Amino acid sequence: MCEPLLRLENVTKRFGMTTALQDMSLDIFSGEVHAIVGENGAGKSTIIKIMTGIHQTTEGRLVIDGTARNISGARAARDIGIAAIYQEPMVFPDLDVAENIFISARSGWFLNQAQLHAEAQRLLGRIGIALDSSSIASGLTLAAQQAVEIARALSQDVRILIMDEPTASLSAHEAKQLRKVARTLAEEGVAVIYISHRLEEIFDIADRVTVIRDGIHISTRPIGDVTSEGMVSEMVGRDVGNYFVKAPSTVTSNSLLRVEHLTREGIFSDISFDLMQGEVLCMAGLVGARRTDVALALFGINPSSSGQIFYKGRQINPSCAREAMDAGIAYVSEDRRKLGLAMPMSLRSNVSLATLRSFVGRWGFLDQSLERMTALEYRDRLNIRAPDVELSVGMLSGGNQQKTMLAKWLRMKPDVLIFDEPTRGIDIGAKAEVHALIREFVANGGGAIVISSDLPEVLAMGDRILVMREGRQMGIVNSTETGQETIMRLATGQASVEAA
Amino acid sequence: MTKGLNGWIRVLVMVLALVVIVNSSLSEEYLSVRNQINLFQLSIEKVIVALMMTLVIINAEIDLSVGSMMGLSACAFGWLFQETSLSAEWAILVCLIIGMLGGALNGVFVAYAGLPSLVVTLATLIGFRGLARVLVEDRGITDFPEWFDAIGQTGLIGPVPFSLFAFLLLFAGLYVVLHKSGFGRKTFVIGTSRDVAVFAGIDTARHKMILFIGSGMVSAFAGLLYAARVGAVRGDVAFGFELDIITMVLLGGVSIFGGVGSMFGTLMAILIVLNLRNGMALLNITGHIQTGVIGVLLITSVIATRLDLGRFRLRKENAG
Amino acid sequence: MLHRLSPQTIRILALLVVLLLVILFFSTQVPNYLSGRLFNRVSSSVAIMALIATAQTLVILTRNIDLSIGSVVGFVAFATGSLITDNPDLHWTLLVAFSITLGMFFGMINGFFVAVAKVPAIIVTLGTLALFRSVLVEFSDAKSIVTANLPTWLINFPNTPLLEIGTLQLRASFAVAVAVVLVVHIALSRIRIARKLYAVGSNPEAAEMAGINIGLTVFTAFVLSGALAGLAGFLFLARFGTITVVAGLGFELKSVAAAVVGGVNIFGGSGLVIGALIGAILVDLIDSSLVRWHLVSEFWREAVLGGLILLAVTMDTLVMRSLAVWRTARSNSKEDRRANVQSP
Repeated sequence: MCEPLLRLENVTKRFGMTTALQDMSLDIFSGEVHAIVGENGAGKSTIIKIMTGIHQTTEGRLVIDGTARNISGARAARDIGIAAIYQEPMVFPDLDVAENIFISARSGWFLNQAQLHAEAQRLLGRIGIALDSSSIASGLTLAAQQAVEIARALSQDVRILIMDEPTASLSAHEAKQLRKVARTLAEEGVAVIYISHRLEEIFDIADRVTVIRDGIHISTRPIGDVTSEGMVSEMVGRDVGNYFVKAPSTVTSNSLLRVEHLTREGIFSDISFDLMQGEVLCMAGLVGARRTDVALALFGINPSSSGQIFYKGRQINPSCAREAMDAGIAYVSEDRRKLGLAMPMSLRSNVSLATLRSFVGRWGFLDQSLERMTALEYRDRLNIRAPDVELSVGMLSGGNQQKTMLAKWLRMKPDVLIFDEPTRGIDIGAKAEVHALIREFVANGGGAIVISSDLPEVLAMGDRILVMREGRQMGIVNSTETGQETIMRLATGQASVEAA
Repeated sequence: MTKGLNGWIRVLVMVLALVVIVNSSLSEEYLSVRNQINLFQLSIEKVIVALMMTLVIINAEIDLSVGSMMGLSACAFGWLFQETSLSAEWAILVCLIIGMLGGALNGVFVAYAGLPSLVVTLATLIGFRGLARVLVEDRGITDFPEWFDAIGQTGLIGPVPFSLFAFLLLFAGLYVVLHKSGFGRKTFVIGTSRDVAVFAGIDTARHKMILFIGSGMVSAFAGLLYAARVGAVRGDVAFGFELDIITMVLLGGVSIFGGVGSMFGTLMAILIVLNLRNGMALLNITGHIQTGVIGVLLITSVIATRLDLGRFRLRKENAG
Repeated sequence: MLHRLSPQTIRILALLVVLLLVILFFSTQVPNYLSGRLFNRVSSSVAIMALIATAQTLVILTRNIDLSIGSVVGFVAFATGSLITDNPDLHWTLLVAFSITLGMFFGMINGFFVAVAKVPAIIVTLGTLALFRSVLVEFSDAKSIVTANLPTWLINFPNTPLLEIGTLQLRASFAVAVAVVLVVHIALSRIRIARKLYAVGSNPEAAEMAGINIGLTVFTAFVLSGALAGLAGFLFLARFGTITVVAGLGFELKSVAAAVVGGVNIFGGSGLVIGALIGAILVDLIDSSLVRWHLVSEFWREAVLGGLILLAVTMDTLVMRSLAVWRTARSNSKEDRRANVQSP
């Protein structure tokens, strides 16, 4: 092949103390579909953000068409011909398809509606999508919105199209169509960077595959030289024992939570499991597996449409968070910023948030000294590093924020605690502390459901592991009898087992 | 964020001090008890409603219908007094119930139908004013019982009138509610992020409903005070008050996006506005220009805090 | 069929149906209702509000609000009045240009604080609402503009019939307002950069990613809105002749109401100025019809209006919500059918 269109040369990216990318080198050629695979947090999105000008490299450089270039922002990336589409499309919901495509076009003052729509139809036709160019974007399916984004990229003479988990929220049929589009574009000479968790997709369209792990480049090979087993072991291939120590199991035979055929129309279906007292049940799966949606159904935020939930043998049907909490179920959200913590408010008021009632005395007064004492107690117990509990939680580090969120829910003394990605984006030390807290919680008679995309963590933490894929339960496996590869195969749909 | 608010309040205290110093150099009368009570009396209805509005805006909503509700309540009182055999005491009760119902109407549409409060209360601003006009048409109603007028016009204890006591009592009450009670905590949390509140099991719709009912009742109460103070009602009682009231609250450091603010800040802003107006009146500056000066003060104070916050952010980045 | 029409078109059609129903209703209630006089009366009173609602719409589209618009109208009316009083021979084009330029100037002040200093529009325009009014008070020096000092061409202008069909008169002020609304409407749908107003209001994040200069777009919206408010100030002067310092008081909320009734989304990104025009007409029509309806006292006008706005917004929200749900369900079921065919 000739000179690469885009080359990453020894790129390193650090955020404060953490290194997201380490000495990454990568060549992208025009006309190829280049897949990048890796676990969640391996550094894929950092690569995208560097290519689209959102982040700048800490070390190393980007070479485009043989010359070193600096991509300073979204505009610069567009001028070079780099565009990205994501799982959640970036469209203007109130504008029609043609306008969405040409919103930032720079030719002429006046819009010739007829010409605009004809041109839009031509671009959509080029990628083989039948779509009425006068439909309003908010009424389109996600797949159609992505098609609009691709057409927008084409209208700007895209040379490098980055597709980040584009099929995670699509149906099988839509995903197939999207892959066809990617293939077509590559044949026209566009370099397509394709990021996906679905291995079968990669075998379907990629020319070359790059595996990255923990911000480090592992391999780049033509697709013909790769097997799915090899790819999976390269993705996960690290020594588990170095990080996590498996704690002794405390599982008892008392059922805390029994879920039967839980379904939410169009989101997930037929989820069944039993959570025992003293058990950690992990939920594994890839992006779009709908694990969080199951948790939200149990927590009453988005109630299920059918199926039963039995809490200590009694059927419950939570329709809001309060009902789930009154039963004894708590949910530690994955999104600290939006759903978990009131960031500008103090550590004290965040710790008391879920149990505010217990701090309210006669006449509705808030017992602020009790609140303060409680916050101090949990700060010390959970080792939250904050000089004072009056500090706003927005000032704390990710790990300490995570522990604050745990404190909030532990104070509720729930029997079932659902953790959604409890260790994402926090450092190793804090991770171990969070693990110890979860263990302590179940050892004291609770039951934990841990949603995690970190396979070593899942294996170390979980007594049993429920694997989901695209809203379906692929199986429940015993963590002592399984390995990362088995889980990955279940999660990618290469295998399935009967529910244990 | 809290730091930003504290900085803001510091600025407000300094501005207030400046205003007081300049004013007292302008007139010896200024610091007299009589003048101080007077300057409160002139805007007492607005400042009472501003106290409740503080909670509404911290909760990330807005109530534009307060001025019209004041008008409706005053007019309803006048109508009940003149056209029915109801005694004034019962008429007062009916007016407070009207305030409650009007607030509940706003609350239902905002909290349960999920419509933006800006639009809902804009509609009820027009609607409540309309009902006030229906009741009194183009008449003026006057000749209320003596004791009723006395409430608004004469001192309750010494020279201090009932309305000023009501203001202080409401301030103390709402201070406790906002800063010392579970309800107040929820007000801040919901205003900061409705999602966080929902995920912590807080019934946000009920909370908003209560706030709007409170806002309606306080407005109705303020409307009655107006009727008592002026001793007469007309269809245009408290017309356009909403914007003055919101200006005071925002000047007090309450964020229009919710989640930030304090009763103390609003009190400071109220004192500044009242004393500034008094000072300008001493200089023979007319009402509209006074309002203009307060408008400028509002914009500059936001920009000033913005700059302060910018410095704060910079420091944080350097440190981390 | 319904799914082919854009939500905006459905809104406009619905508004027209409501307008028609209102006319039909009152024609059964009020004798001699359907006459040229009705049209003439409504058309001459709606002209100013139509312009202001359009101006407000431009700003709302970008996720902002302009509460200072009444003060701008009042100031421009007064300043234009005093200019022509002092220079009675001034050519009319210069006078109109003066009004518009002055309005743009106020728009720039608002735009600067919102777009450059990044102060929330509601705070800026609350401040300038008071500020502009106080500048007017200072400027007026406690005097008023009186009709007697204005040239007759100006006084006669609003009611000059441009076209007469029977008793129907197309009066100049209404013609100007409708022409301006149509020009703005066409510009908003045909001029490339005008679409950026919608884009910024619809999804600021996506606008940023698409390389749109958000600050400039918002600034432009305020300036254009100021220009329209300036023109409205000119019409205000011509229509009323006597201008005091309270001219235009309360227009800010009325203009928001007309825009919202006309289907403009208060959170930006969607709405048509034609909708705002129809909203203004609807509000005015109901207003002037209730006066003539003997069953209820004329004092019910505002109460009915408030209820109507609430009803309109609730209906709009509920209908649009269920429309969205219905459309999604429709496309999903289509997907499911296809998927079923695929996997046996």
